Amino acid sequence: MKRRGRGIACMWYPIGFTVSANPSAAVVKVNEDGTATLLTGTVESGQGSLTVLGQIAAEELGIAADDVHVVSGDTDAMPMDTGAIASRTTYVTGNAVRLAAEKAKGVLFEVAASMLGVRPEQLEARDRKIQVKSFPQRNLGIGEVAYHAQVVKGQPPIGSATWNPPTVPMDPKTGQGQPFNTYVYATQIAEVDVDDETGEVEVIRIVAAHDCGTAINPMLVEGQVEGGIAMGIGFALQEEMLFDAAGRHVNPSLTNYIVPTSLDMPQIEVDIVPSYDPTGPFGAKGVGEPTSVPTAAAILNAIHNAVGVRISSLPATAEKVLTAIKMKGERARIGAVAGGE
Amino acid sequence: MPGKKRVAEKQRQRTLEALRTAEEVARLPAVVPPVAYPIETLVPEARQQTPAVGQRATRVDGRLHGLGQTKYIDDLAFPGMLHAKIKRAGIASARIVRIDTSAAEAMPGVVAVLTGAEIPVNSFGPSFQDQPVLAHERVFHAGDGVAAVAAVTEQIAVEALEKIVVEYEPLPAVLDPLEALKEDSPQVHPPHGNIYTTKVILKGDVEAALAASDRVFEGRFRTQMVEHVSLEPHAAIAEWDPNGRVTIWSTLGRITLARSDVARTLKLPMNRVRMVGTIVGGNFGGKNEITQEPVLALLSKKTGRPVKGVYTRGEEFTSTTTRHPIVMDYKTGVTKEGKILARKVRLVLDGGAYCSWSETTLGKAAILSAGPYNIENLQVEAYVVYTNKTMTGAMRGFGAPQVCFAYESHMDDIAAALKIDPLDIRLLNVFGEGSVSPTGQVLHSVVVKESLLKAAEHFGWREARS
Repeated sequence: MKRRGRGIACMWYPIGFTVSANPSAAVVKVNEDGTATLLTGTVESGQGSLTVLGQIAAEELGIAADDVHVVSGDTDAMPMDTGAIASRTTYVTGNAVRLAAEKAKGVLFEVAASMLGVRPEQLEARDRKIQVKSFPQRNLGIGEVAYHAQVVKGQPPIGSATWNPPTVPMDPKTGQGQPFNTYVYATQIAEVDVDDETGEVEVIRIVAAHDCGTAINPMLVEGQVEGGIAMGIGFALQEEMLFDAAGRHVNPSLTNYIVPTSLDMPQIEVDIVPSYDPTGPFGAKGVGEPTSVPTAAAILNAIHNAVGVRISSLPATAEKVLTAIKMKGERARIGAVAGGE
Repeated sequence: MPGKKRVAEKQRQRTLEALRTAEEVARLPAVVPPVAYPIETLVPEARQQTPAVGQRATRVDGRLHGLGQTKYIDDLAFPGMLHAKIKRAGIASARIVRIDTSAAEAMPGVVAVLTGAEIPVNSFGPSFQDQPVLAHERVFHAGDGVAAVAAVTEQIAVEALEKIVVEYEPLPAVLDPLEALKEDSPQVHPPHGNIYTTKVILKGDVEAALAASDRVFEGRFRTQMVEHVSLEPHAAIAEWDPNGRVTIWSTLGRITLARSDVARTLKLPMNRVRMVGTIVGGNFGGKNEITQEPVLALLSKKTGRPVKGVYTRGEEFTSTTTRHPIVMDYKTGVTKEGKILARKVRLVLDGGAYCSWSETTLGKAAILSAGPYNIENLQVEAYVVYTNKTMTGAMRGFGAPQVCFAYESHMDDIAAALKIDPLDIRLLNVFGEGSVSPTGQVLHSVVVKESLLKAAEHFGWREARS
């Protein structure tokens, strides 16, 4: 018989490296028509990081995502970057990108100030325009300013910047220190069906509430959460590298190392928890790794809730769950006999 | 009307033609039919709107993926390019007595063979440089590479590996992390002991708080070794040029680090190494450091030709980094209302044959192991040990999925024993704004309570169960 259960798990996760420096650098070049090019040394891994970095540069310059072309991934031509690791791209590289865009914007403001007859501090960049704060009717198209800057004034608007999250080393004896600058938080709730005759676990539904600071691109956050959950399901129920007594890996292929497929996916419902981190670009933190962190815990708690057995080693394969169910039945029987005597 | 009929017939022909093309494409998935691109590409509105932050902007690479036009390493070919394959040890711990590559070198189609002895600096690694590019004299795990071949086709390279004779003297191996902790267990990297890093976190007085607790709970949790299973395996192409400069196209997430590792292993100034990060078909931490790049570079140097290497799925499992199995012991003292007073955690991480990202994983696992909970009295001891297995390294979460499984399972066990709702016991203990972390850090922008409440509300946790 299939028994339904639900399990909850929450977590915290840091953004960036543990204590060690993990800087990023970025270069933003505004073209003569007000579009821009962003140079970054990070690499896209399919998570959409370049799209997010483009949006951060665009936001600072007051233009749209499509107005920024992002170039990445060549050590000859790009500024250094610690890379796509530790959920750090949006936060660390994002901060460097925002600062680089701010510097390029500074050149535009200087040029626009003389064109508009105001001081640079009185200007803001919005909706592809450079306008006077609280007097937006007085404005110039960003393309007009960029053209003027480069072709008339001879001041091409280029900015470069670096950023590194501040940390404090941990005391080797007590571990006290500030290993990271910021953390994200999340909760996932899993609903599962456990077949008490076969031990098979089916994940029906996962509700995931994740904090990522400001969601620079909510669609990509949702994508990350769905992907992380897929990975978490494999970790919870299926995947395991097995070694023989001589230390040779015995299942090095996808025929006997089982990963979840689209058919194993539950219904996933994602909520982005509102939060704002003043140390991140426009309040953003990160979301990559944390999406995979609480999934297994939530599923295992749901199994416990469904059939009353605690599987304390991963993965909770059907064999393991069934054995635990049988042992529980056996214990109950012995207990009943013992109690009756 | 005949005109209408003609139009219908034309339509039918066009449909048939389209079906035929589709069928051809299905038979030849690697060949993309010629496409004429429009001058004006349709850009979704979210990409054109301001403000840019908060927009559900589509990815620029999405169109390429959707049209099958993305070029991964395996889609790239250079004139005269050779294919490299690496011979794997297949034995967990051994001394290499002799490597005979003469039969492989004599094979038609084989252009060069490389062994560990030819690598200028045969070690790399982000914390400790304990990993050889190709095993030399000593094998530390079954997935170690012992020799490499560059041949005109991939098949010839594979066949040549069979002709390479390696004589091993087997050495005792240690496979279990708890065994590896013991003093009398075989040492993986003598003269160093098997414990290669330790982390300790101490806060308050754990023993006193445990003694003062209403109830004390204990639990041991274990996790397994898993692989990232990126759909795209590790792949790279190296081309050495006549100026002694090497360009490496590689599917890596960290090209800045890769350049310094390649320069170090090849003993080249950094300005003579160019790393190009190609489209990465899945990373998840598995493509954070170099694997075969120096081997391909040296084979290219030997042959004067570009050399490509693409790992098999088997190599992905046995010869690249994996996730740390961890043995996790928890002891927690609580009040009868469920408030955590003290927690003791001991973590033993299976580091596999090389350090790789173990130091980082150990640190994160130790710091996060108490969970997002206010615990005044805490003691965490964490060790990472060498074993003669596939090395463990960076993988999505750096130890966090493992410890989360432990602290959250443990939490539910405590809640069940005290007959408290799992949601309530968490709400009672979780961090709030300004909470102090296990390392004494004051936390900001803390929304763990909000995430619990949001998820519970969305799920319908409080509602009567069906």
